Amino acid sequence: MSTPSRIVGCIGGVVLSAIAIATPAAAQSQARPSLTGVWAPFGAARGADPAVAPPPAGPVVLKPAYAKDYLAQRAADAEATKRGEPPASASVVCVPYGMPRMMAVASYPIEILETSGQFTIIAEAFSEVRRVFMGQSQLPIDEVPPGYYGHSVGRWDGETLVIDTIGIKESVPGYQNIPHSDQMRITERLRLVTPDVLHDQITIDDPLVLEKPVVYTLAYRRMRDYKMVEFVCDNNREYVDEKGRVRMRLDGGGR
Amino acid sequence: MSIYRHARIVLAAIFALVPGTTFLVAHHSFAMFDTANPITISGTVTAFEWTNPHVYIEVDVAEGQAMKHWAIELGSPSILMRGGWKFNTIKKGDKITAVVSPLRNGDAGSLLNRVTLADGRVLGNGGPAGIGPGTPPPTSAPPR
Repeated sequence: MSTPSRIVGCIGGVVLSAIAIATPAAAQSQARPSLTGVWAPFGAARGADPAVAPPPAGPVVLKPAYAKDYLAQRAADAEATKRGEPPASASVVCVPYGMPRMMAVASYPIEILETSGQFTIIAEAFSEVRRVFMGQSQLPIDEVPPGYYGHSVGRWDGETLVIDTIGIKESVPGYQNIPHSDQMRITERLRLVTPDVLHDQITIDDPLVLEKPVVYTLAYRRMRDYKMVEFVCDNNREYVDEKGRVRMRLDGGGR
Repeated sequence: MSIYRHARIVLAAIFALVPGTTFLVAHHSFAMFDTANPITISGTVTAFEWTNPHVYIEVDVAEGQAMKHWAIELGSPSILMRGGWKFNTIKKGDKITAVVSPLRNGDAGSLLNRVTLADGRVLGNGGPAGIGPGTPPPTSAPPR
């Protein structure tokens, strides 16, 4: 039997409703919420009130050319982990996560700062920083040097902050470690569900790798009075051995 | 079953996500530690490293007439602070008793479950995930 022309994930049926209604400019200005503050990620399994929990993620539908290798790698990684030999990843050796994964690293918070014409988002884990330029047009993709955070522009859609990001380096692992091309575009819609709960609906579109955009939502709880902690990865005892396995070095060198 | 249908099922299994949890990533997997078979070690601290991406306790543990040196991995300073830890919670020379998950390969490295300090306090390996300050520290290690 021939290889199917395309592979379709069958988890679906989740329709994310529109989350903002356009309003006149003057009203928008008054309605815009302050997102400035520190936010810790949480999900349904982390004690979240179901009423403010993020909706289920949409399906990941890879093009056949990518699906086969991806599934094989996932299976191999799962087997290695079961043996107690977790496979290597960039973060094991303290390479930053980049976008979009930096937006939810374990329970580490992010800090959102709004200044004139710019939002700055700082992830506590690995001290990653991304900048969102407000009111600017997105650059052509061939003018953005590929990197971990790409080039982000933002605009308000009612009470929702919409961020468009392009220019993520292909070697930066994607959501769920799915591959991506230099054509990947990340669209985020950030809105306050309550004064202390923030949702970031993330849509990943990549016409070369994905059959259709991937949509998932991150949820955050406001951490009032929290002071972000520095994170300099200067004592990483995890290393990758010659067989690609993660190992723990026993001597830290007295740091 | 057609390949097409098989592929649908495989992908469904992989991407059946628990909302809000599977999206979270961590520095590394803890599969190298035998979390199902924790052990208890008692000894004298030789170093307490308040560092990223992990904090470490170095401890000398008497085994009969010999001394065995253990390295204990903890969470990061950020995670631990939310569980009641400070950079000087432990000092060189302190006597501690720790419940740890040892490395599966037999090396004297481990992951902390909880530690009893010299003053009797018991601390876990970090704070409740995703919850800010003001939450009481856990009595045991949080789920990984």
